[in-house]
Amino acid sequence: MDVLEVKGLCKTYPAFTLDHVSFHVGRGRICGFIGRNGAGKSTTLGSLTGLVHPDAGEARFFGMDLRGSETAVKRKTGFVSSGVNYYPNRKLRTITSVTRAFYPDWDEAAYERYMKLFHLDEAKTPAQLSAGMKVKYALALALSHRAELLILDEPTSGLDPVSRDELLDIFMQLSSEGKSILFSTHITSDLDKCADDIVYIQRGRILAEETLDDFVAAYRLVEFDAAALTPAQREALVGEKRVKHGFSALTRAENAALFPNAREATLEEIMVHLEKEETSC
Amino acid sequence: MLKKLLRKELVLSMHPTVPLMLLLCVMVLIPNYPYTVVFFYSTLSLFFTCLLGRENNDVVYTVGLPVDKRDAVKARMLFAALFQLLQLALVAVLCAVRHRLGLPANEGGLEANTALIGVGLMLFGGFNWVFFTSYYHNVKRVGTSFIVASALFFAAVIVGEVLLHVAPFLRDRLDTADPLFMPEKLATLAVGAAVYVGATYAAYRKSARLFERQDL
Repeated sequence: MDVLEVKGLCKTYPAFTLDHVSFHVGRGRICGFIGRNGAGKSTTLGSLTGLVHPDAGEARFFGMDLRGSETAVKRKTGFVSSGVNYYPNRKLRTITSVTRAFYPDWDEAAYERYMKLFHLDEAKTPAQLSAGMKVKYALALALSHRAELLILDEPTSGLDPVSRDELLDIFMQLSSEGKSILFSTHITSDLDKCADDIVYIQRGRILAEETLDDFVAAYRLVEFDAAALTPAQREALVGEKRVKHGFSALTRAENAALFPNAREATLEEIMVHLEKEETSC
Repeated sequence: MLKKLLRKELVLSMHPTVPLMLLLCVMVLIPNYPYTVVFFYSTLSLFFTCLLGRENNDVVYTVGLPVDKRDAVKARMLFAALFQLLQLALVAVLCAVRHRLGLPANEGGLEANTALIGVGLMLFGGFNWVFFTSYYHNVKRVGTSFIVASALFFAAVIVGEVLLHVAPFLRDRLDTADPLFMPEKLATLAVGAAVYVGATYAAYRKSARLFERQDL
């Protein structure tokens, strides 16, 4: 069952258009939402959280339309951006005391457990927390009101590798407990480690929506000397770019036989070459 | 839900100057002073609260809570109304105190009397309409909204004070100590209350509509 279904989301700004964005997130799945800066990730997530007013389209959470059931949807959803960026000089204890009142299903035991697990001190203020701790506090709040869907907007940006790894472990644990995660990032190596599905947005349009395994399996990476390519090989290349010793490009898996040195591509390599292809078109 | 949002306004959003500005209503005990200016301090503390909210990402936090966007508008306007009405109540008490103390007539503007409360209601109503409909059109432009609203507020104060000197009805009946000409003063209070309720409610309707369409 889908916990989130987005259909035909449109938003037009003077210099950018979100063009009929549609995708879904299944229960217990970690869905990586990827795209380069300015591709439309934050606009899409903003539309899902009420921060952006879309021109058209709909977002259904747990079968409910966001527009008609905003309160019910928000009670079951947790939104975590790159940490708590509000009330920097208020104590966490004060912020929590106000926040918990809005959630009838608030689980105080879970809150205390997460605060302990994340080594968070309620006497501190957000301004006194590191970037990683801010994300963890936002997560603690979201998880304590028993959110079934977490929408995370670049939560690992600015975190050190150890903190990022800790967070990814937490996401995988949550996923195993049946919680769903929509996770926007451009640090694709994070998704290599934990994502089940990929939604790839490019210039406001969804370019791909499939499982991570299928998405990665659809491409191979080849490195080559441009002068030595045959016409058939050249035709099969996607997103050619210069590398240290020659060139690299993607090729569709079905064309891999054309390239003896073709190897599996990482998510980052696929994204970089697809963006290169788009730029060159 | 509104009660919880109002608590959030008081605990997290309120600027520390709000209660301090409220206490400035003791200025009605100054022997000669344009008492309508006292109401400006309330509008100033509301501006500080909205400005602080912008710096603290208060709007983003509030919209993230399980509430409708229009409830965020309703809570902020109720918060403003609470302090405006509290200030008017305190001014009314202090007007009575002033009367009891037998202080001389105010030479600096409208007398501290029942009509002053009515005028305060009109000023607050007008301010709410201009400020909130501008603020909720773009919550990032708090300063512009306040400049426009306070400019109109002071323009209304100046026009009112001038009329007190040139309009016989105002000069001879409203600008007198209570309980003289109470029917006229109570009528002013009633008109003020109607203006306040009408303007504030209309401001809420329009502000909520604007805020729902706004991209944050």
